[in-house]
Amino acid sequence: MREDGRHFLQGPRLDAFSKVTGRERYAADEYPGEFLWAGAKRAFVPHARLLAVHTDRAAAHPGVVRVLTSLDIAGSNRLGIVRNHQPVLVDETIRHAGDAVALVVAESRETLREALELVTFDHEPLPGVFDPEQALKEGVPRIHGDNEEGNLMRAVRVRRGDPDGAFRGCDVVVEGVFETPRQEHACLETEAGWARVDEAGVLVVVASTQTPYRDRKEIAAALGLDVNRVRVIAPYLGGAFGGKDGITVQCLVGLAALSAGGVSVKMWWDRRESFLASMKRLPARMHYRLGAKKDGTFEALSCRLYYDAGPYAGLAGEIMAMGVEHAGSAYRIPNVNIEGYCVYTNNALGGPFRGFGVPQSTAGMEQVVDMAAEKLGMDPLELRRVNALGTGDRNCVGVELKYSTGFSECVDRLADHPLWKEREAWKASAPPWKKRGCGVGCMAHAIGYPALIPDEANARVELTESGTIRVYSGVSDMGQGNAGTYLRIAGEILNQDPATMEVIQPDTDHGLPSGTSSASRTTYTFGNAVIRAARSLKEVILRSGARCLEVEDIDSLELVPGAVRIKGSGRKAALRDVAALIDAVDRSCKGYFRTPYDESTLGIMYLGAHVLFSFGAHLARIEVDTLTGRIDVVDYVAVTDAGRVLNRAQYDQQVQGSIAQGIGYALMEDYVMKDGRHETGDLATYIIPTSLDVPDMVSIAVETDETTGPFGMKGIGEVVISGCVPAIANAFHDACGVRITRVPLTPERVLSALAGQGGKE
Amino acid sequence: MADVHVPSSLDEVFRLLSDEPSATLFAGGTDVMVRSSPDMRERGPFLCLERVEELRGIHGSATEVRIGAATTLSEVIASPVIADLFPLLREALRHVGAPAVRNMGTLGGNICTASPAGDSLPPLYILGAEVELRSLKGRRRMPIDAFITGPGRTQLEEGEVLCAVVIGKEQGFNFHHFEKVGQRKAMAISVASLAFGAETRRDGTIVKARCAFGSVAPTVFTSRLLNDTFAGNTLNTAVLDRAVAIIREGVSPISDIRASMEYRRQVAGNLVMRLEGAGKDR
Repeated sequence: MREDGRHFLQGPRLDAFSKVTGRERYAADEYPGEFLWAGAKRAFVPHARLLAVHTDRAAAHPGVVRVLTSLDIAGSNRLGIVRNHQPVLVDETIRHAGDAVALVVAESRETLREALELVTFDHEPLPGVFDPEQALKEGVPRIHGDNEEGNLMRAVRVRRGDPDGAFRGCDVVVEGVFETPRQEHACLETEAGWARVDEAGVLVVVASTQTPYRDRKEIAAALGLDVNRVRVIAPYLGGAFGGKDGITVQCLVGLAALSAGGVSVKMWWDRRESFLASMKRLPARMHYRLGAKKDGTFEALSCRLYYDAGPYAGLAGEIMAMGVEHAGSAYRIPNVNIEGYCVYTNNALGGPFRGFGVPQSTAGMEQVVDMAAEKLGMDPLELRRVNALGTGDRNCVGVELKYSTGFSECVDRLADHPLWKEREAWKASAPPWKKRGCGVGCMAHAIGYPALIPDEANARVELTESGTIRVYSGVSDMGQGNAGTYLRIAGEILNQDPATMEVIQPDTDHGLPSGTSSASRTTYTFGNAVIRAARSLKEVILRSGARCLEVEDIDSLELVPGAVRIKGSGRKAALRDVAALIDAVDRSCKGYFRTPYDESTLGIMYLGAHVLFSFGAHLARIEVDTLTGRIDVVDYVAVTDAGRVLNRAQYDQQVQGSIAQGIGYALMEDYVMKDGRHETGDLATYIIPTSLDVPDMVSIAVETDETTGPFGMKGIGEVVISGCVPAIANAFHDACGVRITRVPLTPERVLSALAGQGGKE
Repeated sequence: MADVHVPSSLDEVFRLLSDEPSATLFAGGTDVMVRSSPDMRERGPFLCLERVEELRGIHGSATEVRIGAATTLSEVIASPVIADLFPLLREALRHVGAPAVRNMGTLGGNICTASPAGDSLPPLYILGAEVELRSLKGRRRMPIDAFITGPGRTQLEEGEVLCAVVIGKEQGFNFHHFEKVGQRKAMAISVASLAFGAETRRDGTIVKARCAFGSVAPTVFTSRLLNDTFAGNTLNTAVLDRAVAIIREGVSPISDIRASMEYRRQVAGNLVMRLEGAGKDR
């Protein structure tokens, strides 16, 4: 038990046992009775006009139930969140290799595979657009003919102060062009789900999704159904990381179910289809220029950020906007000119991925900060401390920080760490053929949605007839463990052991709309709603307990595990008996929360800005092998301000998982496309780190007390990943004296950078 | 689904093979399974060799060690005989895949796949290993470098099974070195690898040396000129510089998604630089 008496918040994650024993069932694990298989015919051409789809041979194949094309779709056949222009099944134009042109429903997976081979289509190839900066030039083919700005999907510009004048007054100006790769989520559970039309005529879709409530609307619109005739259920996910923030199988499997006469239809992408058809982290090219005074004070920042969206809008424009908002990392910079461009190409779909646009711009910013430190002759952490955002400061887009801001303390704690303080001795003792370096990377990450999008949650906590507590989750658990955290939060308020409680995963029929499992909001926003619901329920329980125990004053009562008790006495009433005295409707309490926002930020940028941030400061110690070019990350320290720690184990899991994914991003992950073809289409060619590639990690929590957060916490799911690329890239420069501006830092790039120095290697 | 046969004796294997000459021989499946995905039927029927007792285990005679072809890589690694006599082979096998792959994958399978990146091959070349092939027609032995003729190509004839790898006990090496360069530390396909075995004097002078490289040519790259370069010398900078030149001249790597030809050539040379000053006081 902690000093403050919070004991139900701590302990191992509640889903650990069911996960490691395989008892937990993901959508992919469900085989719903007698069911059919659905599969998509993929285009495998990046850009073409679709002339005809030939389905006869497939339809005649024994065991094939239906072959569907765009002509079978009664609705808009368009998906989208901001712009609805992605076809469920292509009707006119193929815009990337993973586009689906037909859907086959068959009795077995083998038959499905055979039938998909029998579907053919005629197409007229169109010239492809593959480089985002080229895509903006005159005369380049347009991917969306109706888009007035050519291939520019969205531009976001933020200008503050007088950047041009400020640059002229700077003592030091540094600049660079940085590139980050396309990154694949590579979830354990590939995209999966099943659907059927139930007895009441409702289309029920069970899918591996982060966004059941948004999916419901998209499915209804695309397939031409009343939204009330669509129900979406989101079981535990086997990983998502943003890759299931939106529609994957939902509309395809829903379309198949609509023509399956009440029979269930299952769809499960294999790894190759997942790689081909799923979203990726947007690759970015970033032109950065930073100006400082002699004492290190940042005066001016100018940057142009190009994000490759792929062929459809999805959330790509919003991802780029987050990159713009965080382009100045966690520093005070009074004069800025930040331009972000999100560009259509015929490459893979771009979409959300842990960090949502921030890892890209942070990689650029934190490297120019190091370049400035070198030119100023300053210690890189000292330069960051000098410019660190604190409460009351304005961030790069001009938002005043009114909430918890523990960034300076993160920097101070890192500067104090032995792995930082003793770095010179460690570097000097490098073995033969090795060079050692230490690098830092800092970051901020916004919590919740930008101002224009209400970031709301509605929780429901119930005392069941049998006297147990049930929490209706409105936000998918994609593996981060938020469902268990909701139980712990409710258990804490109601003084009930979470192990005796039950959580119901999101279901648009039972739960209440609560937004998406994303934006570092799952525990912050929904947890706050759970607290409110649980407090209401507590009062209901105590009032009924008073009747049960025949006392007047509910203040004389307390909740204990399984019962209501008279304080200071042994007399208690079991919760089952307490529940019997409450009307069924009153046993269920709701709680609502909306994340803080500031309307005055709406004028700053597209969708407005955020007001609440987590922060961090990282150290990477690396060893570079000068014979092979291989980089080993030897030690890693992540100091994080994500408010108070609710559950130390789960907090550290988020930190460690982010670092592992960040190391992959920095050193090896690169989803290569060539002329719209997927060159790394499986896990044999797309390389992600193994446990041996990830070092022991030190996670230090700077526990600011975020007064708006549940028990003082802020989001921890995303902030950490943004530090890895700059920390490792800066460490490489520290080790070798040369900067590689393009990640991942593959052995090949390292050797050629070392050779470029004129060294023997 | 495809037919899968699980014979328990060599006789049964040969009988099945004469009935179905097109059967895919399967020993662990860590390559076959990956290649056949998603449709296994096209490659079937499968003839699994893991339960054929004659193909399993490590047995020594007075002069040779015989490793059954269906012995798993983990079993080879765990064998005290191998650790004692052929530490270079053990070291190389420890770099294959990850524990799950090594528990299923077999030495015979690694050889018959004949990948330029097969991690067991460079040490087996250095150790002068021979393969024992059997069929209804009889039994033959040939050196491994003769057996493997190109990427994925071997001298294995229809109806013939690789039964064992035979290595002479007297190697005379007192120094060995293995290094694999992959895209990560485990579950990696070799981008370049070096196996090196040598007999050295106390002062580090090389009496004889053998060098073999993986992933930098259609088959394992060896060079008599390179081996001779070391003889009579210590592993000093001048000798290694000569070796690097011979290696870069001799290898014929390809470019693929994992690495470019240029990188492979560069690194193949670089890998021997790691040996500088080694081999003394042994």
